[in-house]
Amino acid sequence: MNHLSEEELVAHAYAEGDNHSVQQHLQACAECAKSYHTLGSDLADMKFAEAPARDAAYGHLVWESIAGSLPAYESRKSWFRGGLWPALSYAAAGMAVVVCAFLGGRLWEHRHAQAVSQNHAQQHEQTAVTLVQRVDVVVLSDHLDRSERLLVELKHADGGNAASPLGDEARRLLPANRFCRQHAKQDDDRALSTALDRLDHLLVELANQPEGLNSQTISRLQDEMNADGLLFEVRVLRSRQAASSTHSKGDTI
Amino acid sequence: MFRMDKNDQAAIRAVLSGDKEAYGALVVRHSAKLFRVAFRITGNEADAEDVVQEAFLRGYRKLESFELRSDFGTWMYRIAVRCALDRISGARINEDSRVGEESDPQQHQVQVADLAAGPDRLLLSGEIGAMQEMAMLSLTPTERTAFVLRHMEDCTSEQIATALGIEPNAAKQAVFRAVQKVRRRLAILRVKI
Repeated sequence: MNHLSEEELVAHAYAEGDNHSVQQHLQACAECAKSYHTLGSDLADMKFAEAPARDAAYGHLVWESIAGSLPAYESRKSWFRGGLWPALSYAAAGMAVVVCAFLGGRLWEHRHAQAVSQNHAQQHEQTAVTLVQRVDVVVLSDHLDRSERLLVELKHADGGNAASPLGDEARRLLPANRFCRQHAKQDDDRALSTALDRLDHLLVELANQPEGLNSQTISRLQDEMNADGLLFEVRVLRSRQAASSTHSKGDTI
Repeated sequence: MFRMDKNDQAAIRAVLSGDKEAYGALVVRHSAKLFRVAFRITGNEADAEDVVQEAFLRGYRKLESFELRSDFGTWMYRIAVRCALDRISGARINEDSRVGEESDPQQHQVQVADLAAGPDRLLLSGEIGAMQEMAMLSLTPTERTAFVLRHMEDCTSEQIATALGIEPNAAKQAVFRAVQKVRRRLAILRVKI
């Protein structure tokens, strides 16, 4: 029979190793049992001085002795308290800025497009009005020009063959004269309206002579024309219209 | 050995967040236990107090590496054991230097014993405890520490191995050698009686 070594006995005494087989051997082997008993006695005798008691104040003394030499830790940033929330806040703020910039851009673009379209509409409308005004001006200028020539011819007419074209021209001028009169009244242009009224009367006289223009009729109309200063008024109106036409062209350009 | 206290976890978190004073609560809570094991290993009250302070200083410096799943008391206990081991290792070197030219192991053991009262005188005065302390002086620092942890602190070989940073089998061997040496010393004294 192999006896247990001292190491095995020590391990068994401290409840380590294969306790079951060692226990069985100790029950069967008196020599090993005696050795184990001696070992147990020796271990039991190994009683060393107990540590002096330390009360609660001891811990405070230890802390006081080391506290001065301990540097404070820098605040550890946890994900939620120091790291994640600020990061999320910055990200959210950045996203908000981007979204605001995007929406602002869209809104600005929309309003800008509206303003541009409104401007275009106004420009179109203004252009249309200007065109109408320019048409009116052209028609009136042409009418005054033709009327002036008619009045000059009437001033120098003496009856006979020369009188026939005056009647024809007067009939052609009558529709234009009425058109211009109507606009002059709408625009509340009294000077032009009055002149065109008188011109209308003269044109009607020239146009409605069933027997043609004889010397007496021409002489009477010349007197009316001179007496009223109609030729002078037409020239003044034509000059004014020419000046107005030039100014209107400059604005349009 | 120790149970992890929720208060310990809270204090550790507070310390790592910059509240140095929270460490004071940990020191107060665990100082007595660390002093006890430090005293058993060093066998000296003043050295034990130094070991406790050194252990808490080391613990504070390493606190960032401490895992909150672990037990702070056990963690500090291991640090204190290491500090105590370092302390008696340094003391052993000093004692060796005091021995001087002596190289004979037998004479060496006698000289160590002479640091205190003689064996006969100790037995005569009934100071058996002091005699056992002398027997402890014949142990290497690792053997002494392993023996204290096994014999007085009821640590397992695995716990001793962890505390000393050695393999469990080496811890077991250290305990065995320590028991063997102490028994021989005590046997010699018994013969003299």
